[in-house]
Amino acid sequence: MTATMPQTGSRRLSTAKAMVEAIGQEMERDESVFVLGEDVGAYGGIFSSTTGLLDRFGPTRVLDTPISETAFIGLAIGAAVEGMRPVVELMFVDFMGVCLDQIYNHMAKIHYESGGNVSVPLVLTTAVGGGYSDGAQHSQCLWGTFAHLPGMKVVAPSTPYDAKGLMTAAIRDPGPVIYMFHKGVMGLAWMAKNQRSIGAVPEEPYEIEIGRANVVREGTDVSVVTVSLSVHHALDVAEQLAGEGISCEVVDLRSIVPLDRAAIRASVAKTGRLVVVDEDYASFGLSGEVIASVVEHDPAALKAAPVRVAVPDVPIPYARELEYAVLPTPARITEAIREVMHP
Amino acid sequence: MTDIVFPAMSKDNAEAEGVVATWFVADGETVAAGQLVAEVAMDKVDMEVTAPVAGVIALASAEGDAVRQGEVIASIT
Repeated sequence: MTATMPQTGSRRLSTAKAMVEAIGQEMERDESVFVLGEDVGAYGGIFSSTTGLLDRFGPTRVLDTPISETAFIGLAIGAAVEGMRPVVELMFVDFMGVCLDQIYNHMAKIHYESGGNVSVPLVLTTAVGGGYSDGAQHSQCLWGTFAHLPGMKVVAPSTPYDAKGLMTAAIRDPGPVIYMFHKGVMGLAWMAKNQRSIGAVPEEPYEIEIGRANVVREGTDVSVVTVSLSVHHALDVAEQLAGEGISCEVVDLRSIVPLDRAAIRASVAKTGRLVVVDEDYASFGLSGEVIASVVEHDPAALKAAPVRVAVPDVPIPYARELEYAVLPTPARITEAIREVMHP
Repeated sequence: MTDIVFPAMSKDNAEAEGVVATWFVADGETVAAGQLVAEVAMDKVDMEVTAPVAGVIALASAEGDAVRQGEVIASIT
């Protein structure tokens, strides 16, 4: 896949608007693209992921579904198998429990089970992440769960620019892609504001290759490998620690499957130290996989033991103070970086 | 000079207050007619504000400031 990288002009969008722009442009370009899910029509997506699409494309291409995830994700899979390109929204990733059979036994496996004869060109969008007291059933990331199950690509943009380019790439991809948007990077008026959730976005369509990490800040002392909202926290911490003479390199994975192991190794080869920041649960997940990518390849690559900043293995608390005690906050990231610098 | 006012989002209360949630343009930037310049919010409802004419925009309120509807939030010359 060749990614065309246009120059970013001065026009700025929120991550949510960048996502919608990509979906709208693909719907204009390709009649087989359509959108379905709970509250994606008149409401525009509860995190503004589909705002305005119903008005532009009408109810035959933007379908509000009942609360019946197995039925409507199954519908999307059937449509994809028949040659349509559905963008189907699972309102919160936490709801995967009621529809996982469709996702991992059907969507992810049909291509393999058919000996490569049947494709499932589907994008499953879903809201992830916590930080706003929405409780244990509405605050998880769970990208590690989908990444563990083979047959799906899994992406998680952190900026408006990446949100548009990854969405365009996901819609054009011949296979199923899980597109996980963190509520904290969408740039929503009613959520805590994040300065990097508004940024320059080219007006023309472009793709960001799925599976390519991005070094968003160069550094020489420690590699901070992360994804989604945690990229912003890592950049804030890197800025602050630069004042103390610690040079952090921040790697935004952007894609969890495929995982850009080469980019992780290249960064660690330069710095010799590794901190992984992951808003998903700590055990059996992305953070361990990132570390394994390094040490399996070169056990001598690290000068200090790697440190993970992730959600400890407990459900995410509702109470604000307890929730922030488990989230990968800037304070925890700072502490982890000091630990690898002075083991 | 063309003023941009906080839109009348409340039908019941002419004095209702909201906030400019996001400026998509910087003070002094050149904008095109119809370009998205801001998102404003009132009682958890948000609304886009576009430039009525082309020109150079001067912002009259900061993000997060409480603004009465009808009040000038920016002007374009």
